[in-house]
Amino acid sequence: MSKTVGIPKGLLYYDFYPMWKTFFEGVGAKVVVSQDTNKKILDEGVKNCVEDACLPVKTYVGHVINLKEKNVDYIFIPRIVSVERKKYLCSKFLGLPDFIKSLIGDLPPIIDIEINYYKNNDEFTQKEFIKVGRMFGKTEDQSLKAYFEATHQQKKFESLLKKGLTNLEALKVWEGKNLVKEESNYDLKIAVIAHPYDIMDEYISMGIIEKLKNMGAQVYTMEMLERDLILEGASMLSKEMFWNYERDILGAGLYFLKQKNVDGVIMVSAFGCGPNSMTEELLERIFKREKEVPFMLITIDEHSGEDGIMTRLEAFTDLLRFNKKAVMV
Amino acid sequence: MKITYPHMGSLNMILKTMFEGIGVEVIDPPPSTNKTLTLGVRNSHEFACLPFKINVGNFIEALDRGADTIIMLGGIGPCRFGYYGQVQREILKDLGYDFKMIIVDPPHGRLIDFLKELASHFPNVDGKTALKSFVFAVKKMIAADKLEKFLLKLRAHEDNPGVTTKIYEEYIKKLEKAQDGKEVDKIVSEAMKKIKENANVRRKIQLKVALVGEIYMLLEPFTNMDISKSLNELGVEVTKTEYLSDYLINSAFKLPQRMEFKKNARGYLERDIGGHGLNTVANTVKYAKLKYDGVIHILPFTCTPEIVAQGIIAKVSRDYNIPVMSLVYDENTGQAGYQTRLEAFVDLLYRKRLDVVV
Ligand code: SF4
Ligand code: SF4
Repeated sequence: MSKTVGIPKGLLYYDFYPMWKTFFEGVGAKVVVSQDTNKKILDEGVKNCVEDACLPVKTYVGHVINLKEKNVDYIFIPRIVSVERKKYLCSKFLGLPDFIKSLIGDLPPIIDIEINYYKNNDEFTQKEFIKVGRMFGKTEDQSLKAYFEATHQQKKFESLLKKGLTNLEALKVWEGKNLVKEESNYDLKIAVIAHPYDIMDEYISMGIIEKLKNMGAQVYTMEMLERDLILEGASMLSKEMFWNYERDILGAGLYFLKQKNVDGVIMVSAFGCGPNSMTEELLERIFKREKEVPFMLITIDEHSGEDGIMTRLEAFTDLLRFNKKAVMV
Repeated sequence: MKITYPHMGSLNMILKTMFEGIGVEVIDPPPSTNKTLTLGVRNSHEFACLPFKINVGNFIEALDRGADTIIMLGGIGPCRFGYYGQVQREILKDLGYDFKMIIVDPPHGRLIDFLKELASHFPNVDGKTALKSFVFAVKKMIAADKLEKFLLKLRAHEDNPGVTTKIYEEYIKKLEKAQDGKEVDKIVSEAMKKIKENANVRRKIQLKVALVGEIYMLLEPFTNMDISKSLNELGVEVTKTEYLSDYLINSAFKLPQRMEFKKNARGYLERDIGGHGLNTVANTVKYAKLKYDGVIHILPFTCTPEIVAQGIIAKVSRDYNIPVMSLVYDENTGQAGYQTRLEAFVDLLYRKRLDVVV
């Protein structure tokens, strides 16, 4: 029987699941994903994590515990150092497997390979994946083949994003599921800028994206933007950010501000997020100075209430509609 | 040009000595106080880390005193410190200040590179003079750090409470004003002698605690509410694990130092994660092995590398059976509750030793 590998549904799951799943299946493993975030998962995460950690990391801890309870043979917790040349991820990703192993006892073996494209070559990361292949009795060639198929599937997934699907939608389509047909009578365009794990997890984000859609807003995320547009936005700053995701946040925000092709921008960040404290501060100041596009910040935490978010989203969409009318008159 | 910079332990002394040595006017940021903190907090993001907020407060106070140029360190990540300056500049701009900010991006993140790069912003200064004042500044810094290490041990034994701190402060001021190397040496040995004369208390159980954590928090007594002093006053000898002079010693020393961190952290944290997270884990292991009574970990709220370290050293604590306490600082860290926690921790360490004795 093939071995099972658990993939926690948190953090970069929303960005790299197609690649990881394809690879593991390619080397003969069976992939098990933790459940969608629910109260139990979040509570377990909060209970077992460091009190002041950010919400997404706490949630991730809950997902690891969920997989442990599912008795998988391995859990995949990669050490993601860099996914782009000369760019890093936040410190929490750099130490993630070590951190998780210290927090939770009696875990099954952790696959904690290092994903690191800082030096702009695939070679390092390939070798790491070959190591994984070896754990499943695969030769270097077999693992490489799985790796290339994985990157190919990843590209397919990413091209779905560029067609305007959110990460969640793109994951569904990639897995061959149908999307619920949307009525397209949107009268507002809103960019929601955030780490995908903050807005794609419908439980911790309290379904912000769905709520906006139901309020008649077409939603744009930064993953939908082509890379050169993000870089165009980011180039308005005197120094490029060294975290690729924060660079994307800044770049997307400034791009929308410059093009004015949306009615409003919402930035969502998680309670206790260090990197976002920098990007939020900058974006909020720049948007305020320019006064061209309305901007709103939403911080999600384990206590934020659904009502509060609803009220704020309603107020924001009302404001945008009011602005639109004012322009037309 | 009137230069200022944020408070950062004895780095101030270096910068001041250097700039004055090359004839540039310096406006020292006033000592950090609660007002500084309030100014910083009011103008920074809620989740900005404490050093960021205090920097902002320092800048505002120095600009109000007439500074027009800010020197700030940069960096290439992965810790947010490397982007501090970019964000702080915008905050100060929005407050209406007119100033120039020189952000020095050292290529390898080493202090020595920082100083070299800094020199390149002052092309008119003759290299020889600059080097001379730099070397002298480093000497002062090493002296100041040496004196502090001595203080943190001996103050736990002082006969008359408060006297040691007074002596120390008096001599640090003298050190700042010292004009040459000989004078520096004299000041240090005199200070040590005086401190020693007032340190005769001996106890049956002598506790030793290592302070680990985020470097800024460790370097700045205001920010950590002078935790070393509080511990010394509870009769505890303190070893602080981060000193700037340790990072200034030439690069031949850097590599073995990093290897040592990696070696000590092995099995707990397998790589550098930005900031000083790796050092925190390595030092906790190191002092656990050295049979210290306890480790206190200090970190600012939302500090990403130290939060990772916090989770990990809790495991080190269990594995080595050494009490470890993480103290998370933010602008609301109240003196009262905080002091109680320190006392409870020290109490725990005493009881642990008593159990062993009995
Ligand atoms: S970027 Fe923010 S939310 Fe993401 S892991 Fe780091 S601190 Fe947490
Ligand atoms: S190490 Fe921590 S406190 Fe220091 S700059 Fe980085 S995140 Fe902030």
